Amino acid sequence: MPLAPSVRPAEQEIACQSCGAVLHVDTKVLSTTCPYCASPSIIHRPSRPDRPEPVFLVGFTVNHQRASAQVRRWISRSGFFARSDFKRAVPKLTHGIYLPAYLYGAVARSQYSARIGENYTETETYTTTDSNGRTVTRTRTVTKTEWRSLQGHHDSYIVDVLVTASHGVDNPALEAIEPFDLRSLRAYTDAFVSGWLAEEPSRSQQECLEMAQRETLTLVDQKLNQFMPGDSFTNLQSHTDVSHEVIDLVLLPVWSYALRYSEDQPPVQILVNGQTGRVGGNVPVSTTKIAVTVIAVVIVCLLLFVLISALQ
Amino acid sequence: MTRDLKSTQPEPLRCCSRCDSPLEAGDLRCAICGAAAPQSDGAGRVETATTLLRCQGCGAAVTYDPDLQAPACSFCGDVLEVQTILDPEEQTQWYLPMTVTLDQARDALQQWMGTRGWFTPSDLSSASQLTEIKPLWWVAWVFDAEAFVSWTADSNAGSGRSAWAPHAGQNQIRFDNILVSGSRGLSDAEASAITPGMDLTTGMDAPQGGGEHPILERFDLPRSQARQQVANAIDTSAAERMQQEAIPGTRFRNVHTSIVLRRLVTERYSLPAYVLAYRYRKQLYRVVICGQDTRYLVGTSPFSYAKLFGLIAVVVVGFLVLMLVLSSL
Repeated sequence: MPLAPSVRPAEQEIACQSCGAVLHVDTKVLSTTCPYCASPSIIHRPSRPDRPEPVFLVGFTVNHQRASAQVRRWISRSGFFARSDFKRAVPKLTHGIYLPAYLYGAVARSQYSARIGENYTETETYTTTDSNGRTVTRTRTVTKTEWRSLQGHHDSYIVDVLVTASHGVDNPALEAIEPFDLRSLRAYTDAFVSGWLAEEPSRSQQECLEMAQRETLTLVDQKLNQFMPGDSFTNLQSHTDVSHEVIDLVLLPVWSYALRYSEDQPPVQILVNGQTGRVGGNVPVSTTKIAVTVIAVVIVCLLLFVLISALQ
Repeated sequence: MTRDLKSTQPEPLRCCSRCDSPLEAGDLRCAICGAAAPQSDGAGRVETATTLLRCQGCGAAVTYDPDLQAPACSFCGDVLEVQTILDPEEQTQWYLPMTVTLDQARDALQQWMGTRGWFTPSDLSSASQLTEIKPLWWVAWVFDAEAFVSWTADSNAGSGRSAWAPHAGQNQIRFDNILVSGSRGLSDAEASAITPGMDLTTGMDAPQGGGEHPILERFDLPRSQARQQVANAIDTSAAERMQQEAIPGTRFRNVHTSIVLRRLVTERYSLPAYVLAYRYRKQLYRVVICGQDTRYLVGTSPFSYAKLFGLIAVVVVGFLVLMLVLSSL
């Protein structure tokens, strides 16, 4: 159905297909719910290079009640140094949202060099003083390392690298609630986002590609560390090129909570993996608790020092 | 109908654009390299539009329900059918015919008993009683693939003060008709021992031979786990091949491989065998015979402790006699 021009650059006017109400929606959302009749609408926009159609989707399996229970449990276990007002605060549900992310894969070809340590044992003699005070010569077995240089190539597939495509959730926040079980990946269909908020990518594909490539290099470094032979290695250096890259837009299920624990502080964003229930967020630490702990430790150390000095 | 490898092999409908491995029905991504499977998408959209999913039963709006993992109508409870994740149980594609008869299997057992070596009881053939002989088809995956293998290892080649020296390299290898047992009934050792007797070009679409009531074993793994099992077998095979063909030296340790697979084609076979049980002095023993070639059989047989003790006694007596002779000189 053709639509009226946008009201504001960041908003778009659509008509509810159930009651006919005119709704203003953010140009970055893929679905919305009519505030008058609660009917879910799915918005289709022409795809562009920076706004591709979603290819895959992971469906929600964690419902609202379970997500909230997980968040309450996570807050209660947030540690001794967490602010007390944070622990007392009640999280408010912002929404359950399908977060846009890119699923990246490539073939990585690395050239590496390293120094490989191969251990061997030798028997050596040494002189020491025995219990009677005499100088004696004894033998012992010592382990030594022979170092050799090694160069080579390492080729591997890199699969299932996930990077966020939303400015609302950065990559560390997404990594905090990973992993997603990608065996449950489904081909995207409108039916899965019906009634839920679904966001379009707000980061460019190029930006996401660069993030994914950086993650890939980290993964390759980990693989190379496990690939080295010998008993030990040092000075591992590598250069990696990626080819046959594939990057597909995927929607991930995320429950997003906002927790305001203080009037003078911004709310804390808490995310819940909508598939596994894993919770992630930054816990605000109490500087007072840290200061008191440091002072208490210093006092205890001083007391011990005084006590030991007095005994001597 | 006998399988003609060149003319009747079913053409894969879709192949991965990156590694050329065939994609199976329901695959959204390539199981080897993770690339997205080509989708039949509709024509490109030129205008923005909105849609509302309606319940086919009552006409109310439908929303996705995480408890049902499907879109459902909140008024009448009707659940919309959506594409489900396909992870079917593996199914046999080819049956090899049982060309060995029951009598031939019995004869092979008798012959085998006579060749078990000196420490087997002398009356094994005459005193043994065949208690059971079961024809069965056991299941296995057979795969072909091309692999580019990067490897590192320590070996004794070029070693100096240490007994080990590091080596690295890359090799292109090909796997042809590599068989991975999926059987629960046969052990891996039994399956490996009788596999060389199978002629994979004789595949048929139904079992043939083996009497009236053969046992047909079935795959009991879903496709995803089967792929993992095949992938593990490829890793193990590649490491073994590198030790045999590429890594210099005769002793190895810390063998690491990284494999870039291409054109992995996996087929599911049911392979014929006879499982025989025989009793010797109240003890049961088992023998497995290849259903296509009786030269390939594997099994267990009793050990004659009487012969062992007799031999020890002879050696001890001989030694004592030798000592007596030497002391008298």
